[in-house]
Amino acid sequence: MKQYKAVNWNEPDNDYALMFWEQNIKQFWIDTEYIPSKDIDSWKALSPEMRECYKKALGGLTLLDTLQSNTGMPKIMDHIDSLQNKSVLAYMCMMEAIHAKSYSTIFTTVATSRDIEDIFNWVQQNKYLQFKASLIDKHYRKLENTDISKEDLFMGLSASVLLESFLFYSGFFIPLWLCGQGHMVASADIIKKIIADESIHGVFVGLLAQDVYKKLPNPEKSKEKLLELLNDLYENELKYTEEIYTEVGLTAEVKEYVRYNANKALMNLGFEPTFEVKRVNPIVLNGLSVETTQHDFFSKKSTNYEKATEIVHLRDDDFVVDTSIAV
Amino acid sequence: MVTNEVAKSWILLNNEIMVKHDDEFSLHKDKEAVRAYFLEYVNKNTVFFYTLKEKIDYLIENNYYINFYEWFTFEEMERVYQYIAGKKFRFPSFMSAFKFFQSYALRDDSGEKFLERYEDRVAAVSLFLARHEGIDHALQYAELLINQEYQPATPTFLNAGKKRSGELVSCFLDEIGDNLNGIGYAVDSAMKLSSIGGGVSFNISKIRGRGEAIKGVEGRAGGVLPIMKILEDTFSYANQLGQRPGAGAVYLNIFHSDIEEFLDCKKINVDEKVRIKSLSIGVIIPDKFMELASKDEPCYLIYPHTVMQEYGKYLDELDMDEMYDELITNSKIKKKKVNARHLLVKIAQTQKESGYPYIFFKENANRQHALNGIGHVKFSNLCTEIMQVSEVSDINIYGQQDTIRYGISCNLGSLNIATVMENKRIEQAVKTAMRALTMVTDVTDIAMVPSIQKANRELHSVGLGAMNLHGYLAKNFVMYESEEALDFANVFFMMMNFYSLQASMEIARERKSTFQGFEKSAYADGSYFDKYITRDYFPTTIKGSELFDGVAIPTKEDWKVLKQQVQEHGIYHAYRIAIAPNQSTSYIMNATASVMPIVDTIEVREYGDSTTYYPMPYLTNENYFYYKSAYDMDQMKVLRLVSVIQRHVDQGISTILHTNSKDTTRDLARYYIYGHKMGLKSLYYTRTRKSTIEECVSCSA
Repeated sequence: MKQYKAVNWNEPDNDYALMFWEQNIKQFWIDTEYIPSKDIDSWKALSPEMRECYKKALGGLTLLDTLQSNTGMPKIMDHIDSLQNKSVLAYMCMMEAIHAKSYSTIFTTVATSRDIEDIFNWVQQNKYLQFKASLIDKHYRKLENTDISKEDLFMGLSASVLLESFLFYSGFFIPLWLCGQGHMVASADIIKKIIADESIHGVFVGLLAQDVYKKLPNPEKSKEKLLELLNDLYENELKYTEEIYTEVGLTAEVKEYVRYNANKALMNLGFEPTFEVKRVNPIVLNGLSVETTQHDFFSKKSTNYEKATEIVHLRDDDFVVDTSIAV
Repeated sequence: MVTNEVAKSWILLNNEIMVKHDDEFSLHKDKEAVRAYFLEYVNKNTVFFYTLKEKIDYLIENNYYINFYEWFTFEEMERVYQYIAGKKFRFPSFMSAFKFFQSYALRDDSGEKFLERYEDRVAAVSLFLARHEGIDHALQYAELLINQEYQPATPTFLNAGKKRSGELVSCFLDEIGDNLNGIGYAVDSAMKLSSIGGGVSFNISKIRGRGEAIKGVEGRAGGVLPIMKILEDTFSYANQLGQRPGAGAVYLNIFHSDIEEFLDCKKINVDEKVRIKSLSIGVIIPDKFMELASKDEPCYLIYPHTVMQEYGKYLDELDMDEMYDELITNSKIKKKKVNARHLLVKIAQTQKESGYPYIFFKENANRQHALNGIGHVKFSNLCTEIMQVSEVSDINIYGQQDTIRYGISCNLGSLNIATVMENKRIEQAVKTAMRALTMVTDVTDIAMVPSIQKANRELHSVGLGAMNLHGYLAKNFVMYESEEALDFANVFFMMMNFYSLQASMEIARERKSTFQGFEKSAYADGSYFDKYITRDYFPTTIKGSELFDGVAIPTKEDWKVLKQQVQEHGIYHAYRIAIAPNQSTSYIMNATASVMPIVDTIEVREYGDSTTYYPMPYLTNENYFYYKSAYDMDQMKVLRLVSVIQRHVDQGISTILHTNSKDTTRDLARYYIYGHKMGLKSLYYTRTRKSTIEECVSCSA
């Protein structure tokens, strides 16, 4: 008879699960904390082409986050033995759902119902978007079986990393690019919170993939399979980029950025970068940094604050202070 | 407005500062960004005039400038413009140029073309301030401003001399009485003051708590949260013609029964109905509370309406040292028990999650307060540096006389410590700056909010601040946390106090008029001067003496003379000094903000409308070491330096705590305790540096 186990956080399963758990908790946020309505004027000032590009980029992102929360994370979870790692994945899964909703929060605030309907239709019709979703989903679906090969698991995890660390970024480009120049800044606060989350999701699932990779019977063959998947996605990503960025004249820069992030995804999986990257747009690169920035509390909300997890109570000796001073 | 979809070259260049070569940032890119910005944007978008006369006439005829000919001849104005042009001003960083043109330079009505450069703004401000004093004063102001020795606060610098302009004053505070008329007056004031560009702060401690009685029926009052909601919406509605969002703050006494709910409004996961997004919050902490926390005795939160009914006084006007025991033993006073230490930790937790609340140490503010004979300081403002007497007005129904008492109105400006020290012009700079600030109070008349109008009319309060402390210290190879820094601050701010007091006395003597109630102040009875006539404030370190080399430092004998003069002639300003956080204006001055340490050698600055990279002033490879980030400093040492400055400041200092995300709530609470014991009057935001995942992985690996 099967024995059911309870997750025991008193004994660490490994040296990273607890750290990722805590980092995730700290980063917790919800879309309605932010105030995208501040962007309504900025939105109206954008050219129609730019608005179209922005909407499509966010529409595409919504699809990826939906896939990740509805399929990716739950399927992966089934095949991870460590209960603590499972907990971390479950938490990430919940955040993916918040991400997927938060794009709608931006849409709802700035766009009309008609526009929004059009975008969600476009998402369903667009062949490149559908192609990448189906390719990733194929690897996730293999995980539906209880008895799978180590390679299937590795590919499933890798697909997840490629989605988190690579495929998202063609969509993130435009909000970051606009924000660096002072447009759609309040909405970019939400996007930056998502980026901060995706960056730890990519690293975490990447570590899980590396664990599996070490145990593969024929690692070279599996790596080849991975590179093949990456290549298919990359070719598709170039076409997708052309489709949404050509009218605003940013295609070349976005493609460079796509390559840059493909390399990052490979590094998260423990491999050497393979794409040659010349110069990534510095505005977007700087926008990617998730470190603390200075801000003026009166003009915008900060993305710097995190849920307080370090709660320690005061003791008597905390009230004894040395007030002496040299001058 | 996005006119084309190609990134602007100056923004790209400014971003390229962050690209590292041989482990060094590309600092030279910033100069290229300034150049590109002028060549490709500013010059192309500036209206060209053949002569100065043509420009001035055009600006006056088209309703951009006030008619300066009423006070000056063209030749006089020309002298001011030529003097300024002769100084050959250049923007030292992209940030300063960008900020000036983005936010301050006059534009034509289409909003697309610039009508002013920095030099023109300086000239217009100088002429405006001197228009009743004459050309010699205009030249004095021009010298002060183009030397970048003094920077008026944004409302003054932005609006002075313009025909269609907002107010010159930036900062207002008022009390709210516990009745619908009082609340209505506050909401009305909030809307009006916000629409003219002011930051407004209210003391909501007098409002009865949630669940208290209304007209004798228990359980009906909604507490402070609904009022905060109304104020928040009021501020976001009444923005300045959409130019900048309205901003406001509310302060609540920590003994108020709604305090926990008040703090929870900033938590991340909290119900939408009780969440406050853009309104700033501050907590008023009396000594009694810190004593209870220190002794770990039970703390009782008090329901304010029961106090009013029993004693006929507002809870936050009671001396808690005297009244606390009485309140907790009187059974008619409703209360609830909490743990004071837990409440401190809750404040710390809220700060970690949101940066709020501000903290105002009530007794520290009143212990040094020279106007205790007139009234007490009850709370502070949006930037926690204004500390003045206030008293709630009684607002009546239509047709009945209101009793208007003191709100608070304050106009601000800051000295640039580095230029003032280098030019050895502390005395002239402080005195000219005091005059400039006085001119602003003279022309200000906020008639639509009578309590604010009354305060300005009778008290003439100003707030002279200082910026570039860290920049100046680093440039002179002094560490911000060092004893030399304490030594410098102790002498510099004593001098600022001396000359501002002297200036205020001179103005009173000239005008034969003091602020109302002078005779009841510590200036009149002379007790204010005790600490200055008993000892000298000379530098005590070698470095300190070097920095003040060639500068005459007022002695205790000078102070004795000043004391006599003040007692004889009075002073014109009830309040003189307040150290503001000055954000935008420090960028224009290419200075480090206020007296706070820098946050980074290259600051990433986010505004509502842009992101800019800003290398710190005077930064080179040689002095890099002296630009230590505030996040890496011992906060106790920062607070210690602030406490030295506070000795010489009659109002307050915006003091920001810089913490790291691994700092615990206990670490934060210990800063509050230390700050309180060191006599700090307030703490402004707590900023947090996030740990990045790279750091996390490397820690655990």
